[in-house]
Amino acid sequence: MKVSNRELLDRLAAEYVLGTLRGNARRHFERWLVSPQVKEMVHGWEQRLAGLEPSLQKITPPAKVWQGIEGRLDLGRSRRSTVRWLAIAASVLLAVFAFFTLRPVELVATQQASIEADPQTIYWHVELLGDNRELTVQALATHPLESGKAHELWILPAPGSGERSPVSLGLLPASGTQHLVLNAAQRAALAGAKQLAVSLEPAGGSPTGLPTGPVIHVAPLSPV
Amino acid sequence: MERSDPLPPEIELAQLLQRCAARDSAAFRVLYDRTSPILFARLLRMLRRRSVAEEALQEVYVRIWERAAQYEAHRGRALAWLVTIARYCAIDLMRRERLTLVGDNALAEVADENAAEPGAFEKPNHFDDCIGQLSQTTQQCLTLAFVEGRSHDEIARLTSNPLGSVKSWIRRGLISLKECLSAERQTV
Repeated sequence: MKVSNRELLDRLAAEYVLGTLRGNARRHFERWLVSPQVKEMVHGWEQRLAGLEPSLQKITPPAKVWQGIEGRLDLGRSRRSTVRWLAIAASVLLAVFAFFTLRPVELVATQQASIEADPQTIYWHVELLGDNRELTVQALATHPLESGKAHELWILPAPGSGERSPVSLGLLPASGTQHLVLNAAQRAALAGAKQLAVSLEPAGGSPTGLPTGPVIHVAPLSPV
Repeated sequence: MERSDPLPPEIELAQLLQRCAARDSAAFRVLYDRTSPILFARLLRMLRRRSVAEEALQEVYVRIWERAAQYEAHRGRALAWLVTIARYCAIDLMRRERLTLVGDNALAEVADENAAEPGAFEKPNHFDDCIGQLSQTTQQCLTLAFVEGRSHDEIARLTSNPLGSVKSWIRRGLISLKECLSAERQTV
């Protein structure tokens, strides 16, 4: 029996929605979700299988879940304006104090990049602070990853710089925020760089210092 | 008494989502209060471990906030959209956490849940007739996959059936279900 492309896609869409499409197959299928045809198939199955939804007793989650969400999305800002102003005042004082006594402690973000997937999911948000001295990466969505693998972040060489090799910015966190003080090589590579890239590497990162696995995302760097 | 409503009205949820899309964090908080007990119950059902379900719930609401603009009111109910995000997130997390079966009482629980009161979710027309036409075993496989988030392997182990059979029952069950639902729709 010959199975048409459309039939095959519909079958995959069904198992994607049912949840039995797993692992790499699931990840690959998600890349096809940019196609309106595939999206339509998935939507059709979501409606059909909604009939299987169980009715469950509600369970109230602990308060720390909301606090975590608020922290990750930085939602507290607009609502607690007094606290915010106090915090700003305090950080200004701290910055003034630090300026005269220590090295400046609070760096300002100068460049940023969002590493996104097809259906507009932002997986990581990267900020470069204080003129490329430090970097923070925030994981915003869980990127699928098979065991024994890791996501590594790279600076793509600046166009016209004569440099050809990407420079590693280390491994991307699966969740939470990661902070990194950049070394001289990384800072040099960032000067004039326009793009960051993510490659799939063995756990622990590329053994060679250069990308060894496929590049799965490329994100433009833009000024903050 | 608002909190004890059996279910938040759909229209209100859709409006809250629209306000979330416009970056209204107060609306997001209301949406969270209204829907998190439903999604948390659903996540616990799939992930079983409380700590993992809590982590998943956080991830789910981060996704909801980021994707609120993608919700299309004309394409389906808001609660169904939220639950779908939760289910997919749980599946992603299972993969990362390498979660496997905890306990083997899943089958008994599934039977109980199906006997529960009519759900808050809109079933397609004739869904019960169409699902009823599938064999008991196929229904059980589909439920274990959809409700519990079980993989083919886990379903084979839980139901003591060969993996190949489980896969083909599920595949054929889905095809029959689709045919039946579309045929029924045409005759109405």
